[in-house]
Amino acid sequence: MGPDSAPGPAVPWQKVLWERQPFPDNYVDQRFLEELRRNEGVRQYRYWSVVKEAGFVGQQLSCVALFITLWLYMEQGLLSPEMLLLTSLVCALLGYGLHQVLTSQIEPGCEPRTRLADLQSAAIFLSFTFGFSPVLKTLTESVSTDTVYAMSAVMLLAHLVSFPYAQPSPPGSLSLNAALFASVCLASRLPGALHTFAMLSCALLVFALWPCLLQRLRENAPNQFTGVCVGMCIGGVGGLGTQSLGGAMLLAIALGSVTLLCPLLLVRLQRHKDNIHGPWDEAEIHEDLSRFLH
Amino acid sequence: MGQRRRVANPPSQGVAGARTDCVRVSDRKHNICMVSDFFYPNMGGVESHIYQLSQCLIQKGHKVVIATHAYDRRKGVRYLTNGLKVYYLPLQVMYNQSTATTCFHSLPLLRCVFVRERITVVHAHSSFSAMAHDALFHAKTMGLNTVFTDHSLFGFADVSSVLTNKLLTVSLCDTNHIVCVSYTSKENTVLRATLNPEIVSVIPNAVDPTDFTPDPSQRQEDRITIVVISRLVYRKGIDLLGGIIPELCLKHPDLHFLIGGEGPKRIVLEEVREKYQLHDRVQLLGALEHKDVRGVLVQGHIFLNTSLTEAFCMAIVEGASCGLQVVSTRVGGIPEVLPEDLITLCEPTVRSLCAGLETVIAQQRSGSLPSPASIHARVKNLYTWKNVAERTEKVYDRVAGEEVLPLDRRLWRLRAHCGPVSGSIFAFVAVLDFLFLLLLQWLVPDRLMDDAVDATGPHRLWRQETIVKQTKSRSHSKGATSS
Repeated sequence: MGPDSAPGPAVPWQKVLWERQPFPDNYVDQRFLEELRRNEGVRQYRYWSVVKEAGFVGQQLSCVALFITLWLYMEQGLLSPEMLLLTSLVCALLGYGLHQVLTSQIEPGCEPRTRLADLQSAAIFLSFTFGFSPVLKTLTESVSTDTVYAMSAVMLLAHLVSFPYAQPSPPGSLSLNAALFASVCLASRLPGALHTFAMLSCALLVFALWPCLLQRLRENAPNQFTGVCVGMCIGGVGGLGTQSLGGAMLLAIALGSVTLLCPLLLVRLQRHKDNIHGPWDEAEIHEDLSRFLH
Repeated sequence: MGQRRRVANPPSQGVAGARTDCVRVSDRKHNICMVSDFFYPNMGGVESHIYQLSQCLIQKGHKVVIATHAYDRRKGVRYLTNGLKVYYLPLQVMYNQSTATTCFHSLPLLRCVFVRERITVVHAHSSFSAMAHDALFHAKTMGLNTVFTDHSLFGFADVSSVLTNKLLTVSLCDTNHIVCVSYTSKENTVLRATLNPEIVSVIPNAVDPTDFTPDPSQRQEDRITIVVISRLVYRKGIDLLGGIIPELCLKHPDLHFLIGGEGPKRIVLEEVREKYQLHDRVQLLGALEHKDVRGVLVQGHIFLNTSLTEAFCMAIVEGASCGLQVVSTRVGGIPEVLPEDLITLCEPTVRSLCAGLETVIAQQRSGSLPSPASIHARVKNLYTWKNVAERTEKVYDRVAGEEVLPLDRRLWRLRAHCGPVSGSIFAFVAVLDFLFLLLLQWLVPDRLMDDAVDATGPHRLWRQETIVKQTKSRSHSKGATSS
C-alpha cells in the first residue's frame, strides 16, 4: 500500500479506490491517462475562407480611412458641405433600397419595420444633429487641437478594436459610441456649422448604417460581399493616397497583413494546437434549463 | 532546522542524519507541519481532511502542527483535541479565504514556526491556497522535505487555468512528493504540473463511519425522500437540480426533496419551488453544520449528487454510509469512489439524471434495494482515516529519505522544468528568498530561537491527559524513550 512496496502484478490494476489493490500508492499503470483526448472538435480552417472572413476587418479599416479622407477634404475646403450632404443622401437612398431588397428576401414571417418608421427616425436624427451642430461646433473650442486629434485617433482605434465583426448588425454600442465621439471631435474642428452637420451625418452613414447593410450582403450575397470588401479596401487606399502617400502605404500594409498574413498565420499555427480533455473537465450544461423557470 | 541540519552534515543526509537525530528518525517519527489557507473555523472538505489526518498522525506518535492564516479575531496559537497546535498567522487575506502572496512576506513567520517546532516535513494542502505554495517555497529554501496534497480538479481551456497551471508547475517541480485524492485527480495534477507520475501517490479521502450510521426509523415510509447536501453553486450542478425537481415531482406525487446547503444558486431552487407550487415537497434547509448532516441524511431514501466536477466527492460516501442509495453524475473521480451496485451513475444532463432517479425510485417501490444496514456495512470499511494516515505516513517515510535539492540544483531544475521565462523569474525569486533567509538567520540565528513545547509527538506533554486513557498500552511502550 505504501509508495515503495513491491508490486505483485498477479491481478490487473483497476482504476477504483474502493478496493485495496496490491499496488503501491504511486503505482503508474499502462492505462494511466488512457482517457486523455486531444484536440477534440478543433475546426480545420481553409485559407481562402478565412481570408474572406477577414475581409470584413479590412473593409472596416478602410471605412475609417475613407472617413478621415473626407474630413481632410472638408478641412482644406476642397469639398463643400452641400456636396457631401447630397452625396450622402444619394448613397443613403441607394443603400436603403438595397437593404429593403435584401431584407424582403429573408424575413417574411416577422413584422417588418414600416418605411414611415424609418423615415421618422431618420428625420429625428437629422433634425437633432442639425439643431445641435452649432453647439457641437463650439464644443471643443477650449480644448487644444492636438488633444482633439489624439482623442479622435484613440477613439477610432477603440472603434476598430471593439467592433463586433462576427455580428455587426446592429453595431456594438461601445464601437459606435467611440466612432461618433471621434466624429464629433473631428467635426468640431471644421470651419462652419453646416460642415459639422454634414460630417456628422456622414459619420452616421459610415459607422451606423453601412455595417448593417454589409451584414445583409454577407448573409444573402456572399460573392458580391467579397467584391464590396475588395472595392472598399481599394477605395480606402486610393482615397487616402490623394491626400497622403505615406498614409496610403501604411494602410495598404495594414490591410495586407490583416487580410492575407494573419489568416496564413492562423492556418499555420493551427497545427501546433494541443488541447487536452479528459474526465477531469468540468461538465458543461448544454440543455436549456430556463424552460423550467419561465 | 533543516538548514541547520544540512550545514551540520551536508552530503549524506540520510545516514548521518539518522545518527544525530537518533530518537526521531530511528523510530521514524516525523515532525510535520500542515500548511493551508483553509482550516477551521472555515468549513469544507480540505479543512476536515487536514484535521482528521492530523489527529490520526498524532495517534501514531508523530508531532503535528498546523499553520493557517488568522480568521477574524482568531489569531495566534490555539490547541485542539489531543494537543494539536494550530498557528493562526496574521497574513492578509485576499480572495475567497486565500492569502495574498508576494513570495517573501510569509517567510519570517513560517521560518519561526518551522524552526521552533523542529519541523522535518512540510505538508501543504490545496492548490487554491497561496499560503500552501508559499510554505512549500520557503520550506525548500530552508532545506525541509515537502509534500503537497491536491484536493481539486482544474481544466486546461482558459487563460486563468493556463496561468494557475504554470504556477503549479513552478510550485511542484521540486516538491518531494505529491498526494492526490483519486486517480483522475492524479492524471489531472500530473498533466497540469508536468510531473513524473512516480512521485504522485493516490490516497483517497476518508469518512468517519461512526459519524454516519443509518437509522431507517427516521424515514417517512409514505413518501420517497431525495436528499441533496451540497453548496448551492454552479459547479455543484444546482441548475440541473432545478430541472430535475419539477420533472420528477410532476410524475411522482409522493416524492420529496430535502436540500441542505447554501449558496448563490439557492435562488434557482426557490424560483422552481415557487413556480411549481412545491413548498410542501421541496425543503431548503440552508447551511448545515457538520454535526447536523447525518440527521438530514437518515431521513432520505436516495442521495442525489449533481456535481459538474469533483475530485473525490466525500458527500456520496457519507450518503452511502448512512444507508442511502446514491445517484450521481459521472464526472471527475466519482466513478472510482463507490462500487457499481451502490451508486447509479448518470450523464450530467437533466434527462439522464431523471432516468437514473426513476430507476432507483422504481427499485425502492418494489423493495429490491439493499437495506440501509447492509449498505453501511459495505461502505464503513472502504475509507477510514486510519488507513489514510498509514498511507500518508509511508509517504513521509519515503520523503524523509530523499534529498532536498540544494540551491544550485534547485535553480537548474526550475530553469529546466518551467520554461526559460518563468523558470528564470522564479529561479531569481528563489535566490532572493534564500538571501532573505540568510538575513533572517543573521538577525535571529536558529540556535537563539527557543524550541516550542511539544504537545504531541514522541516528546509530547499532552500524554498525561485524556489521550493516555485511550491508548494506554501504546503510550507505556513509548514512555521509556521520552522520559
